[in-house]
Amino acid sequence: MRTRTTPTTKLKLWLAFALTVWVCDLFGAETLRYVAKPGGAKVTIEGTSTVHDWITEGKIIGGSFEVEPSFRTDLTLKSVQSLHGKAPPPNVEVFIPVTSLKSTVLAGREKMDEVMREAMRATENPRITYKLTSMTLKDPVPESGSPAKFNTKGQLQVAGVTNTIEMEVTMERLEGDRLKFSGKKALKMTDFKIAPPAPRLAMGFIKTGDEVTIRFEWIVGLSTAP
Amino acid sequence: MKLPNQTAHDSCPPEVTRREFIKDGSVAILALAGAPLTGTGNTADTNAPASGTDGATDYKGQSPPVNLGLIGCGPWGRELLKTASMLPNAPVVAVCDTYPAALKRAATLAPEAKQYENYRDLLADSKVEGVVVATPSHMHRDIVLDAIKARKHVYCEAPLAANIEDARAIAKAAKETVKVNFQAGLQNRADRQVLNLASFMRTGVLGRPIKSRQQYHKKQSWRAAAPTPERQKEVNWRLDQAISPGLVGEIGIHQIDLVNWFFMLRPTAVTGFGSLRQWRDGRTVPDNVVAIFEYPGGLFLTYEATLGSSFDGELNLFFGSDCAVMLRDRRAWMFQEIDAPQLGWEINAIKEQFYKSTGIVLAAGYSKAMPNQTAKPAEVPQDPKSPLQYALEAFVINSYNHQAAIRDFTSAYDPSDTNALKQYLDEIAKMRVPAPGWAEGYEATVAALKANQAVAGNQRITIEPAVFELG
Repeated sequence: MRTRTTPTTKLKLWLAFALTVWVCDLFGAETLRYVAKPGGAKVTIEGTSTVHDWITEGKIIGGSFEVEPSFRTDLTLKSVQSLHGKAPPPNVEVFIPVTSLKSTVLAGREKMDEVMREAMRATENPRITYKLTSMTLKDPVPESGSPAKFNTKGQLQVAGVTNTIEMEVTMERLEGDRLKFSGKKALKMTDFKIAPPAPRLAMGFIKTGDEVTIRFEWIVGLSTAP
Repeated sequence: MKLPNQTAHDSCPPEVTRREFIKDGSVAILALAGAPLTGTGNTADTNAPASGTDGATDYKGQSPPVNLGLIGCGPWGRELLKTASMLPNAPVVAVCDTYPAALKRAATLAPEAKQYENYRDLLADSKVEGVVVATPSHMHRDIVLDAIKARKHVYCEAPLAANIEDARAIAKAAKETVKVNFQAGLQNRADRQVLNLASFMRTGVLGRPIKSRQQYHKKQSWRAAAPTPERQKEVNWRLDQAISPGLVGEIGIHQIDLVNWFFMLRPTAVTGFGSLRQWRDGRTVPDNVVAIFEYPGGLFLTYEATLGSSFDGELNLFFGSDCAVMLRDRRAWMFQEIDAPQLGWEINAIKEQFYKSTGIVLAAGYSKAMPNQTAKPAEVPQDPKSPLQYALEAFVINSYNHQAAIRDFTSAYDPSDTNALKQYLDEIAKMRVPAPGWAEGYEATVAALKANQAVAGNQRITIEPAVFELG
C-alpha cells in the first residue's frame, strides 16, 4: 500500500535534512584532517646520569590534527575560531611507539633500550600518547603563515600514567599541504611513576637523573582520504 | 617526588661518578654493553617503580622473545638447539627433520617443540616467527625461499648454498623482502671477541697488509655412521663431490670471510689443490686442500685444511709491515715489528711468549681494565658466551626489532607506502646488533665456493667482480 506524504511529514523531513547538514558541517565534512607523514619526524629524550648525559631518539610520531577549514586559507590564522578560544580546540591526538625509541650510545645500545622499555612498562603501555585539550595562538602569525606559535595544554600519557602538560608549540607550513609542529618540554620520570634507571656495575651503580627533556618535530599532511 | 626504596642506605654500593667511570672506563663499558643490569626483587607490580633496596634498579634489560623453528636436526642443528636453549629469549617452538630418529633426538633438547617432518608444515605454523635452517647446504635454496615467502625471519647456515646460483637466489630474495630479517650463519661476525679484533684491525695497526695464512688441522673422518646404505648416503653428503662445498666451503668459509671482512676486500682469483691422503673410503671430496687467494694490490691469503693431522689446530694469521696478528680459539695476539710505531698502551698489556716472539694479548674489554698485570695466560678471562650464542642472540634481537619497526611504522603511517617503510628500515638497520646479513653471507659463499671449484679441478680460477653482484 502506498503511503501519502502530508505537509507535516514533509516539514519533518526537511528539518531532519537540515539538522544532518548542520551536524556534518560541525563534525565532519567541513573539518580539515591532517595525518602523520613519514620522513622528517623526530623525537629525542635527553637525560643525565652520574657518568654522562644520554639521548634516546625516535623517528616515528603518529596521529592526526583536525581543524576548521579556514586554517588552510587564512595563513595568519586570525579567523580560525578554534585557535582563539571561541570554539572547541582542534582535535589533536599523537602517539609515539615506545619500541621506536633508540639510545644513541655506541656500546650497549640494545641493553639500554631494553632497560628503557622496561622502565616505561612498554608491554602494557606500548605507546606514549598525547591528547590536546587547549591550543591558542601566542603571537601574530606572519603573512607567509610560518612560524606560528601556540600555547597548548594536553594530556600526556607515559607508562600508563597521565599528566596534564603545558607546552609552547611552533608550527611551520611546508610544501605539499604539510605542517611541522615542534616543541620541547622538561619532564620528570617520577611524575610518570618511572624509577630512573640505576644499573649496577662491578664498582657500584650509575644513577640516571630524574629530569629529562623531550623535543619533537612532528610532520602531518592534509589527508586525501574521503 | 621521592620513590619508595630509593633512600640512601649505609651498606649500599657507591654511585659511580664521571671520574671513576673514566678511570675504569673499560669495565664500565663492558658492564654497560653486556653485563646484566639486574638486582634483587621483582617487578611483578607494573605500577610500582622497579628499584632495589640499595638505590639500584632491578631492570633486567632483556630483549623480548622471538619464537624459533629449527629445520634440520642433524648434529649441527642440535648444537644450534642447545645454544638456543641457553638464551632466555629464543624459545624453539617447532623442529623439523625428514628423519624420525633425528627428530627424536631433537625432542630431548626441545621437548615442548612441535615436531614436523615436512618443512612446509613448520612454515605454516603461525607460532613460528623465525627459522634456523641447518639442513645440508645443497638443500637450503627451496627451504629458505619458502621461509622468506612465508615472512619468517631466517637464520641460514653458511655457506648459503652449495652453488653460486642458489646462493644468489637466496640473497636476492632476502634483499628484496624488506619485512624479513635475514642472517647468515657466519658466527664470527657476531662474536664480540672477533668484532673487537675487526675494529682494531681496521685502525690500520698492521701497517701495510702483506698476506694472510689460515689453517684448519683436525684428524677426523667427517664420516657419520647410519643404519642403512640410503641413510649413510644422506648423512654423508659432505663427502660427495657433486653436492658438497668441500672442506674450504664448509669450514674454510668462516676463516676466509675474516680476510674479506678485516681488509674489506674481495678476492680476484683463487688457485686450489686437493688430494685424498688419509680417508680413502670411497669419498670423492679431498681431505687435504690448499687454496691461494689473490686480492687487489698483491695481498695473498693461503688457506690450508686437512683431515689427516691435528697438529697446530686452527689458526688465522694476518701479516702487515708493522705487526702480525694471530687469532686462534677466539683469542688474539699482536706481534710488533721492531720498527713499528708504538701505540702507547702496550707497556701495560698482557704478553705471552711464542717460541722467540712476544705476543701482546688482544681481548675485548680487558687490556685497560687490569693495568700493570704481569702476564700469565691463565689470567686472561675467557668469554663466557660462545660465538654461536652471540650469533643467535643477535638474530633474536634483530628479528624482534625488525618486526617492531615494521609494526611501529605501519601503525603511524600509510602502510602501503613501501618506499618510506624501506627507508625507515634502512635507518633502523644501522642500529642492528652486529650480525652478517645476506650481503656478507653471499660474498663469503662466493669466495668459498670458487675456492672449492679450484680445489676440485687443481686449477686457478679468476673471480670476476660481477659474480659478487646480485644483478
